[in-house]
Amino acid sequence: MDQHIKKVYVPMTESAFYILFCLREENHGYGVVQKVDRLTDGAIKLAPGTMYGSLSKMEKDGVIRFIREEDKRKVYKITDLGEEVLALEIARIEKLYKISKGEIK
Amino acid sequence: MKNGNLKKEFKWFTIFEYEKEEKYLREMHKSGWKFIKVKGLGIYHFEKCTPEDVIYQLDYNKEGMKNKDEYLQMFSDCGWEHLQDYAGYSYFRKPASEMNGEESIFCDEESKIQMMERVLKGRMFPLLLIFFCCLMPQFVINVSGGNYAVAATLGGIMGLYLVVFLLCAKGYFKMKNGRK
Repeated sequence: MDQHIKKVYVPMTESAFYILFCLREENHGYGVVQKVDRLTDGAIKLAPGTMYGSLSKMEKDGVIRFIREEDKRKVYKITDLGEEVLALEIARIEKLYKISKGEIK
Repeated sequence: MKNGNLKKEFKWFTIFEYEKEEKYLREMHKSGWKFIKVKGLGIYHFEKCTPEDVIYQLDYNKEGMKNKDEYLQMFSDCGWEHLQDYAGYSYFRKPASEMNGEESIFCDEESKIQMMERVLKGRMFPLLLIFFCCLMPQFVINVSGGNYAVAATLGGIMGLYLVVFLLCAKGYFKMKNGRK
């Protein structure tokens, strides 16, 4: 993996995590916003400026790709590179969690 | 003005003062003046309305301007009304009553900084060009030509420029360092 991509995405922001995670299934930006709202019981409200900026940046970085357009909404899906990045991030969070629970001393 | 339901105000905001501008529009709406549009060098048009707490937000996204339909769709899906585009900025508003707490069009610092960087690239460069290729040579010409009144005016503008540059630099670094 490109070192630059790794540097930018590990660790990643909470917004980026949710976007990548949700795009394991094809979805458009607003679909991701709704899904995250549901998953977090409304605690995380992804905002449109953040969404738009992140999606175009992620597409440029090759971690997600454009699939098709649906009623003026772009549908995206995670790429293999995106999956790799996400796996690294999940492993990092798992480790963090274990340490916080005292499982690693 | 003849029509008491309309009002115009001149306000000058530097390119990095969009947060100040957002607050200004919000305060106006709270005191019963709803923003219609901004024109020219900063003439803000308002119309009388019922006072309401409405959050105003500015985005700067050239990529979004190129894919306008899809860009605006994202905002309207999230409940933000698009008002106009002006000097590279897109103006949005959403009533506070439709929010859970206070919402912004950016939900993290990272994306706020990315917007600032887009402003920096898109707006600072042309400003620097005007400064060094127009204002400064004109200033020198007028000083050496003895046109002190003109030179003083230009000097004033240049001073203003410097203040803006410094404020921008300060705001930018403050925000960037604040995260660490």
